[in-house]
Amino acid sequence: MWAGRGRAAVSACALIALAGCGGSGGDAKELTVVMWGGDDQQKAVSAYVEPWGKEQGVKIKQDSPTDYAKFRAQVEAKKVSWGVVEVEPNFAVTACKSGWALKIDKAKIDTSKLDQKLVGDCAVPTLQYAFTIGYNTTVFSAQNHPKTWAEFFDTKRFPGKRGFWKYATGAMFEAALLADGVPADKLYPLDIDRAFRKLDTIKKDIVFYETGEQQQQLVSSGETPLIQAWNGRIFAAAKEGKPVANEWNQHLLSYDQLVIPAGYKRADLAQQWLNWFLNNPKAQAIYTNHSAYAPASDAALDYVNPDVRKEIPTSPENAPKRAAIIDYSYWADNYDKVSERLNEWMAQ
Amino acid sequence: MTAEAATAEPAAPAVRRGLPRLDRWGLLVLPLVGFLLAVLVWPLTAVLLRSFTDPEPGVENYLAFFHSPVYLDVLVNTFVTAGLVTLVTLLLGFPYSYLMTLASPFWRGVLMLAVLVPFWTSLLVRTFAWVLILRDTGVVNELLPGPPVPLLRNLPGVLIGMVQVMLPFAVLPMYAAMRGIDRRLLQAAEGLGARPAFAFWRIYAPLAVPGVAASALLVFVSSLGFYVTPALLGGPKNIMIGELIVQQLSGVLRWGFASALAVILLVVTGGLLMLMSRLVDLRRLLGGAR
Amino acid sequence: MSGMASRRLVRASLGALAVLTGLYLVLPVFIVIPMSFSDSAFLEFPPKAWSWRWYENFLGDETWVSSLVSSVQVGVLVTLCAVVLGTAAALGMIRGRYPLKALVSALVMAPVLVPYVIIGLAVYAVFLDLGLTETLLGFVLVHTALAVPYVVITVSSALMSFDRRLENAAMSLGAGPIVTFARVTLPVILPSVLSGAVFAFVTSFDEVVTSVFLSGPDFTTLPVQMWSGVRVRIDPTVAAVSSMLLLVTLALFAVAGLARLARRVRAGGAKERRSS
Repeated sequence: MWAGRGRAAVSACALIALAGCGGSGGDAKELTVVMWGGDDQQKAVSAYVEPWGKEQGVKIKQDSPTDYAKFRAQVEAKKVSWGVVEVEPNFAVTACKSGWALKIDKAKIDTSKLDQKLVGDCAVPTLQYAFTIGYNTTVFSAQNHPKTWAEFFDTKRFPGKRGFWKYATGAMFEAALLADGVPADKLYPLDIDRAFRKLDTIKKDIVFYETGEQQQQLVSSGETPLIQAWNGRIFAAAKEGKPVANEWNQHLLSYDQLVIPAGYKRADLAQQWLNWFLNNPKAQAIYTNHSAYAPASDAALDYVNPDVRKEIPTSPENAPKRAAIIDYSYWADNYDKVSERLNEWMAQ
Repeated sequence: MTAEAATAEPAAPAVRRGLPRLDRWGLLVLPLVGFLLAVLVWPLTAVLLRSFTDPEPGVENYLAFFHSPVYLDVLVNTFVTAGLVTLVTLLLGFPYSYLMTLASPFWRGVLMLAVLVPFWTSLLVRTFAWVLILRDTGVVNELLPGPPVPLLRNLPGVLIGMVQVMLPFAVLPMYAAMRGIDRRLLQAAEGLGARPAFAFWRIYAPLAVPGVAASALLVFVSSLGFYVTPALLGGPKNIMIGELIVQQLSGVLRWGFASALAVILLVVTGGLLMLMSRLVDLRRLLGGAR
Repeated sequence: MSGMASRRLVRASLGALAVLTGLYLVLPVFIVIPMSFSDSAFLEFPPKAWSWRWYENFLGDETWVSSLVSSVQVGVLVTLCAVVLGTAAALGMIRGRYPLKALVSALVMAPVLVPYVIIGLAVYAVFLDLGLTETLLGFVLVHTALAVPYVVITVSSALMSFDRRLENAAMSLGAGPIVTFARVTLPVILPSVLSGAVFAFVTSFDEVVTSVFLSGPDFTTLPVQMWSGVRVRIDPTVAAVSSMLLLVTLALFAVAGLARLARRVRAGGAKERRSS
């Protein structure tokens, strides 16, 4: 009797749920774009996705944030709803090898005007950024602050805590090796043992951060007056009046990429947009002016505001100060192993 | 059914061996069992089996757990943290719930409000608020004289954040249980000459045990899966298994290993709960007794 | 004499401890509310300048508002389903006979025991096939599974200390099982059912990990919306949302309190009339 009542209630509650369940669209002319989310994604989509959608009569849908597990699950289930996805290059390499991402068809997507280092078998660049030495300007002056990674690791001369991103691809190993005197052109393959030995020397002063938000909180509050940061976060904090600045010397260049998940039904639209985006420097520059992340193609630099140009890694002012570009083919092969060692090292 | 039969039932010894038959009350369990089998168990089987098949068939993923000492460390840390959180939560929550049963309606309302308020502040926002409160240049350290007290990126930070999240989950069941306890029993005991502390311990406390055990179980088990709070308030040494699994699943994409970690967590938790149920009467709470 | 004094001392220290605990519980709120009025694009405390811009940002953005609506929808349905399924199961587990008891107990606890991210991925893979991702139903199913153990545990603990002679008395007076449950059992276990309901709602309302998998452009909940940009940056909009939810809760509390007060006044008046 009770059970009967229970079952009735259950079916009732299933019905209520069903009633609210709407149908989703079919293979309409639409493209779903996936990035890291937040305000930055809004700006990016309105700068260089929606104008194309309007031009072509394609409805633009957005999802966020990029999640590699979701990516893989969609491809394996052969139900792909993500059209173009912003990813880290090491994932792009893995996804390409595993057949999760579509190969870039050079006939449909013109990548000839791009720096070929940024183009993968399955991926094209979306933006470029730098791991810089971010510093607090009330603790250190514009003249007297660490200007090299060796100085960044010198806690005697520049006391205070140092912030690093807690993931292996956060460029801390590259910075440690540069600080230890490894020539920039001999960085890869990374000597991880040596990097850990160097990191050991400042271990008690290291603070690991998880998100971009923490990054700017840590440096602008002075809690870690020095931080290995994404240049755009520091730029945004400085724009808000926070006492922070980027030191561009020896910066490490990195980039994000766009891939098309294998099995996406409207891959044709995804390719059309990618081609439009990569060959539309004006649209790229709009986002750069907002974020201080460098555009995918150098041609866009002409449209970047002068004050922002000083703050992006590919400008003529900053490009010569570069130490290296992060080698993501190395990271695609070694991310697992180094992550495990990093976890061990952190736990010690 | 007579009154005698009903009260005698729990004490009736389980004479029959083998599977007990399903009675009318037992039927009530079925909808939930069916629901969970369909929504949870069926999908989970596929994923957990991956621990034996992904990337290659075998027990490689389980051996990988012992490949580096860090995984065992993380597992131990997970249980230690969850245990500490449970302990602190009960130590704070028990007197709080008890006082709620004594307070005037107005004060009871105020205390209840304080328990419910955190629910409406998303976990994420709360965690970021704790960062601003606890960091070296944060609210607490600005008020305290002397060099900053490290409250963040360490165990105290994790505990402060997690206990605040779990306290409401402990207080509500305890309060609900204690409300039902007839306080006249205490008066009667004291009337018969028992000292208040003795009366409380021997009369009141045993009656409160189901509520306390429910709270402890909820808090402990929920704490095992925490990920956001320890990741943001803890340091590199405070990493919990939830974060590790996320890292393996979404970061490194070692799904087989992530599943193996989950299976190991499940097995160890199950074993631990069984052990605890021998000490505390946890099983009755879940209807496992008799 | 000394007994009275020591009892007073115990009560006073209990009171002090409870007040401190209460303050600890609400402390983050005292940070979140001012933070939501900050003029800065970052979460900061204390704010240097004040503004409404994050409230405007929330209310002016269709995706924020619709994610809140979705979250409320999901939360209410989940509460309903979890309370019904969970209370029934608790009754069955405490009072009934059924096979494989230990296994059933383990099953009921499984949603809390299995890491949410594993559940999220597992369910996502299946729901993709069934077309249940990005739907209200999909969210309700998963969140109900996550929320139900909280209902079972709280209701079980109440049922354990429930005196069944009350029911037998009612039944012997001729009440049927439904009436007995509704009039005798339910009122006694109601506080526990309600706390189970609150847990169920909150579990759903604040759930990120599984929701990140299930959500998409067609259906997103509030925590996912809050979480979506967190890797890059989060702005005080999240604080504004929390503050608004808090305000609504407080208002509901005040209304409920006033209603109770009004009832008492009316009941008191009636009593007076009767006694006069």
